[in-house]
Amino acid sequence: MSQTPLSPTRSASGSHAGRISVIASHTFTQLVRMKVFYFLAVFAVITIGSNFFDLPQHAGPEAAGTNILNSIKSWSVGTMTLFSVVFAIVATALLLPKDVEDRTLYTILAKPVPRLDYLAGKLLGVILLVFVSLALMDGLMTAVLQIRSSMILSAQMELAHSRGWSAPEIASMRNDIVSQGPNISLQAAVFVVFLRASIMASLALLISTFSTSTLFTSIISFMIYFIGHFQADARGVFLEAGAGWMTRAIALLVALVLPDFHLFNEFDAVIQGQAFPPMLLGQITGIGLFYAVFYVIASWFIFAEKEF
Amino acid sequence: MAEVTPAVEICDLVKDFKTSFRRQMLRAVGGVSIRIEPGEVYGLIGPNGSGKSTTMKALLGLVAPTSGRCAIFGQDSLRVDSRREVGFLPENPYFYKHLSGAETLRFYGKLCGMRGRILEERVSELLVLVDLENARDRRLGGYSKGMLQRIGLAQALVQDPRLLILDEPTAGVDPMGSRQIRDLIFKLRERGITVFLCSHLLEQVQEVCDRVGIIFQGKMVKEGRLEDLIAIEDQTEIVLRDASPELIARITALVAANPETELVRSGKPRTTLERLFLRETQRDAP
Repeated sequence: MSQTPLSPTRSASGSHAGRISVIASHTFTQLVRMKVFYFLAVFAVITIGSNFFDLPQHAGPEAAGTNILNSIKSWSVGTMTLFSVVFAIVATALLLPKDVEDRTLYTILAKPVPRLDYLAGKLLGVILLVFVSLALMDGLMTAVLQIRSSMILSAQMELAHSRGWSAPEIASMRNDIVSQGPNISLQAAVFVVFLRASIMASLALLISTFSTSTLFTSIISFMIYFIGHFQADARGVFLEAGAGWMTRAIALLVALVLPDFHLFNEFDAVIQGQAFPPMLLGQITGIGLFYAVFYVIASWFIFAEKEF
Repeated sequence: MAEVTPAVEICDLVKDFKTSFRRQMLRAVGGVSIRIEPGEVYGLIGPNGSGKSTTMKALLGLVAPTSGRCAIFGQDSLRVDSRREVGFLPENPYFYKHLSGAETLRFYGKLCGMRGRILEERVSELLVLVDLENARDRRLGGYSKGMLQRIGLAQALVQDPRLLILDEPTAGVDPMGSRQIRDLIFKLRERGITVFLCSHLLEQVQEVCDRVGIIFQGKMVKEGRLEDLIAIEDQTEIVLRDASPELIARITALVAANPETELVRSGKPRTTLERLFLRETQRDAP
C-alpha cells in the first residue's frame, strides 16, 4: 500500500436534509443502473400501438377520431398506473432486505446517519424514480395525443367545410376534439397516478421494516393495493347493517391503516374528456399525503427498534 | 491529572436474543466489560459464536444492550452522535456493486457531511492509501475479495475517525493483502488512531495488538497486555547469528554445568509460512 499520509479532514456530520438527499440520489442511481428504464420501450409500443386500436364507433361523423384519442389516453394512463405501482412496490421491497443481506446497512448506520434519514432517503429515491418514469411516460403520451388530435382536427375541419357546417357547429366540434386531447385535467390524472404509487411505496417501506423477504413484502403490498380499491364499498355495506360504535371504530381503524383508493379512480372521467374538479384533486392530495406520512412514521417506529 | 476519556468503554454488557420459540432467550454476551484507551490497538479473539460480533454491534448501536452500557469517547453508543468518530468495517462486506470505488467513497463521505474539494481530495488520498487508484472508476461488481476489503477499509476511514472498528479485517484476503492491512493498522496506530479489531488469525492479532481480550461463550475469560499474556516467565530466549558449532557446544556445556538450569530447546529458528510466501512472491514480482 502507498505511504500517503492520512490528512485531517474531520468535519461536521451534515444535516438531515443533506443525508436524506445523498441516500435518495444514491437509491435513484441504484435503480436506474438496474436498467429499470427499459420499460419505457414497452410503454412507447403500447402508446403508439393504441393509435391503431380502431374501436367500434357509434357516434356520427362529427365525432370521428375521438375514440382513438380515448384509446390512447386509456391505454397510456392504465399502463402508467400499472408500471408506477409495480415499480413503487417492487423497488421498495427490494432495497431494504438487500442492504441487510449484503451488510451494506451496517456500514451506513455505523456512520452518523439516523435511521429515519436512511428510511426517508430510500423512500424518496424510489418516489423520485416513479416521478421521473411518470414524467417521461406523460411526455410521450402528451406528444402522441398532440400529434393525433391535430391530425383529427385537420381532417374534421376539412369535413366540416366540405359539408358547409355553421361556425357554431365547427366551434363545438373543435371544442370536443380539444377536450379529448392533452390538457391540464389529464396532467392532474397523471399526478393522481403518482400519488397512488407514492402511497404504495410508503406502504411497502412499512412492510419491509418487519419483513425479511422481498416476495412477502411485494405480495402483501399488492393485496393491500387491491383491497384499497373496494374497502370503501365494503365499509359502506358493513356499516349500513346497523353497526354499533365498536364496529364503526373498527371500520375507521381499517380505513386509517389500509389505504382507501376509491377517490383515486375518479380520474376515469378525465379519459372520457371531462375536467378534473380542483376540489377533488385537493382532497386526493390530502389523502395521499396523510397515508404517506402515516406509513413513514410507522416505519420509523419499527425500524428504530430493529436490531441487525 | 484529569482522567482521559476512554475511546471505548463497555460496562457489563449483556445481550440476549429471542430464539424462534419466543419464550426462550439466547444469551450471546454475558457481562463483558472492555476499556480501550485512545491510541491503543485492541484485539478481541474468540471462536465462532463467542459473542465478538455482537459486542461490536452493540458498540455501534446496531443492537441494543439487554443490560449494561457501551460508550465511544464518552458518548452512549445508542446516540447517533457517537458514530461521528467511528469507522467500521464489517466481516465480509458487500458494498453497492453498481458504484465505482471513487463513487463508493464519495457516498460514504457525503453521509458524514463532507462535500466539494475536501471530499474529492480525501477520496483520491484514500484510494492511493489502499492501493486502488487504478481501479477508482471500476465498478465494485468487478472487484476481487481483497479489493473489496480494502475499499471497505477506505470507507471506514473516510471521515478520518479517531476509532476504527474492524470485524475480521483480513477474512478471505490473500497474504499480501493481509500484510497491507496489517501495515495500515501500524500506520494508523502511529497517528494515534484507536483500533478495535476481532480476528480469527491469532498470529496477526499478536503482531498488531497492544492489548488482547479472549471471549468464550459470551464471557471475557482473559484480558491484558499482550506481552504479559504470552510471555513464559521461567524461560529465556537467546538468538545468535553465525554462531560456530564450537561456540554452541561451549554454551551447551555451560548450561549443563548449572544444575538449576534446563536447556529446553536449541536449533535453527523457523520463519513463518507467511513470511516465506511474501519473500518469494515479492522477489518474483516485476
